[in-house]
Amino acid sequence: MTDIDKLAGSVSNLQAGFESHRYICSSQIATAVYLAYQLRKPVLVEGPAGVGKTELAKTTAEMFELPLIRLQCYEGLDEAKAIYEWKYGKQLLYTQVLKETLDEVLQGAKGFTESVNRLHEFGDIFFSEEFMEPRPLLKALKEENGCVLLIDEVDKSDHEFESLLLEILSEYQVSIPEIGTIKAKAEPPIVFLTSNNTREISDALKRRCLHLYIPFPDTELEQRIIHARVPEIPPELRRQLVTFIQELRDLDLKKVPAISETIDWARTLLLLHTESLDANLVRDTLNVILKFQEDIDNVDAEITTLISKAIKN
Amino acid sequence: MDRTLTSFIAALRNADVRISTAETLDAMSAVELCGYRNREFLKDTLALVLPKTPDEKYTFDETFDQFFAFKDVKGESVVTELDGDGEEAEGEGGAGQGQGGAVGEGTDGRKGGGKKKKFSAFEEQQDEEDLGPGEMAQPRSSLGKLLMQDSRVELTVNMAAAAKEVSLEEIQVFTQKGLYTRKIMEEMGLADLQQEISVVRQSPSILDRRLGQELKKRREWLREQVRDYVEKQFLLYADATGKKLREELLRKVKLSNIEHRNFRLVQEVVFRMAKRLVALHSRRKKVFKRGQLHVSRTLRHNMSYDGSIFDLHWKSVKIDRPKVFAICDVSGSVANYARFMLMFLYSLEEVMPKVRSFAFSSDLAEVTDLFERNKLEDAIAKTLRDYSGGSTDYGQAFEDFRNKCLDEIDNRTTIIILGDARNNYGDPRTEILKEMYDRSKRLIWLNPESRNTWNVGDAEMRKYSAYVHQAEECNSLTHLERIVGNLLRTIQ
Repeated sequence: MTDIDKLAGSVSNLQAGFESHRYICSSQIATAVYLAYQLRKPVLVEGPAGVGKTELAKTTAEMFELPLIRLQCYEGLDEAKAIYEWKYGKQLLYTQVLKETLDEVLQGAKGFTESVNRLHEFGDIFFSEEFMEPRPLLKALKEENGCVLLIDEVDKSDHEFESLLLEILSEYQVSIPEIGTIKAKAEPPIVFLTSNNTREISDALKRRCLHLYIPFPDTELEQRIIHARVPEIPPELRRQLVTFIQELRDLDLKKVPAISETIDWARTLLLLHTESLDANLVRDTLNVILKFQEDIDNVDAEITTLISKAIKN
Repeated sequence: MDRTLTSFIAALRNADVRISTAETLDAMSAVELCGYRNREFLKDTLALVLPKTPDEKYTFDETFDQFFAFKDVKGESVVTELDGDGEEAEGEGGAGQGQGGAVGEGTDGRKGGGKKKKFSAFEEQQDEEDLGPGEMAQPRSSLGKLLMQDSRVELTVNMAAAAKEVSLEEIQVFTQKGLYTRKIMEEMGLADLQQEISVVRQSPSILDRRLGQELKKRREWLREQVRDYVEKQFLLYADATGKKLREELLRKVKLSNIEHRNFRLVQEVVFRMAKRLVALHSRRKKVFKRGQLHVSRTLRHNMSYDGSIFDLHWKSVKIDRPKVFAICDVSGSVANYARFMLMFLYSLEEVMPKVRSFAFSSDLAEVTDLFERNKLEDAIAKTLRDYSGGSTDYGQAFEDFRNKCLDEIDNRTTIIILGDARNNYGDPRTEILKEMYDRSKRLIWLNPESRNTWNVGDAEMRKYSAYVHQAEECNSLTHLERIVGNLLRTIQ
């Protein structure tokens, strides 16, 4: 039994494993990784920006001590950038070399048919793995001991690209017309796809994946996350700032602060040697957690009530 | 135990969660892995495999809690029991009750005791005399015997048979639940039992009276069981059919006749229609411009042919999403139609991101901002509140529109005007409409009145329809769906 098997043997093991890598997760998230490993299924992770979707994949790789291969999606991404491309330069050189040896090969051949036959007998490596430049997806399949494949922000890519993913997600293989099918080695990669929901992912893709939705954490979980990420921060301030952020999320804002913002803010406050929240300080550092001037203006008006709530609780 | 899972999936499907066969198989292998022992774990697991959108997750949570609700007063983990005596559950499943009577309740007697308190409220209010434990007489009615046998399996089988007899599977709306509960009880022999209870309770013998009390307790317990059973079957078979029926009706009914209490449902229908259109049109089409060579791509692709260029690549252009201007008459008579059209247009945000909307009754104002900043329902409510007063004046509205944003109409813009064209005999100002017609790609007039009243009274439809590309009658959701669907098709 390998280390990975032991770790992924139960949900509680996984949860503890994540925690030791400073990633605090709910049982739902741990269950997703557990199932992904046991059933060999990719996980589609959805949720608002900044709740730790990408971080989940990174931490999983770290925990299992596997390489992380990342494919960032964007509009216009195609197979040449995602799966493989030919090394054109080398192919050209190869044809040059071939030209020179052509005479030897064809020496003594009578007539056109025989020449062509000889050519066919001559081993052709023009389209072979030597001249292939593997891109992230193919690289992931070729990893000997398995790896974690992160397909980030899959909703940013085109529809065509989604269909391209279907084969690799369900069969862990890719078909290359000139060569054939390349299958994953003994250990197929653990695949995470993340999406910010800018558009609906097609049903075909969803059907092949486990679907994990990560919402904003509740107060208790967020406190634990802050504790894990910024351990130096005093407990009282931690409680206050988490409560404050939780209050903010209830307001009608253009972009509500996510966990990553909470962490940034905690670091900022630590840097400023803060003991307890006060109006001026919060006002000065509001731009760490809110990313729109409109939101900042809205919150500014209610800052004192929010702080008094955070301190009182 | 697969039967449990499949009937749970049937319940989910009934609740509008789309689950394919492949996902059912996935769920089975997942459940094999996690087992039924731990309820939370089971829920987490199934939540990962079955529902695939946040909305579906929410429905899933509700359905799961309802479906795997174990009525165990002592709070024992019945899930373990489920796993343990799977065989029994299987047997009962055969009798037609999916996840079965194994939902168990310890020993019947104690359970009955627990339930009694709750239900004595609407039974005869008299205090029970304390007869103490001890011997009691034997029941005579068949249902009474059955109840005193402590045999859950037999009772469940009996219940299922009775349910079949009264054709429970035809249950359609939730108000029928009580009716079916009573019918099943009667089918099982409630009348005889009632008779017996009232006889033995009057009896001088203490043994008889003890039996009376016990029977009464167990009758209440049975009622509870039957109610649960009906509830579950309702969840499985009926919930959606009733709803579907209503939705079917709502699609056809005139929008102005939709009652306020149905608005929520209509909204759901609108969202679903919109979602279908989005799915249909969300793929952005490319149009190839024949004649313009994409030099760099061609060179790259032809490198593998030793630089001889014969595989040509052409420049392509992605088609922009349509730009829509919606101008809605929100005066009293048309307000409801405007509500639903705006709802529809803004639900299509994903495929039509550039909707600008204007509302008028006499003066026209842009309400795009309202929709950007508020939730859909609030925005509609605010629009109707702020702009629906005043008598209709199309001339004034067109004038305002010309002053505000006629310049922004270009040959990619589609204008939709929703209104009955009843201008209170004012100046129709058709020349402005003509200007709009000339500048825009398409101008569509949607009139909620039926075609033969378009020109009756103060309606100016004849004059206006000369300057529109298309004039349509539009007064039900089906109309609306067809028109917006066409809009997306012609624009792309």
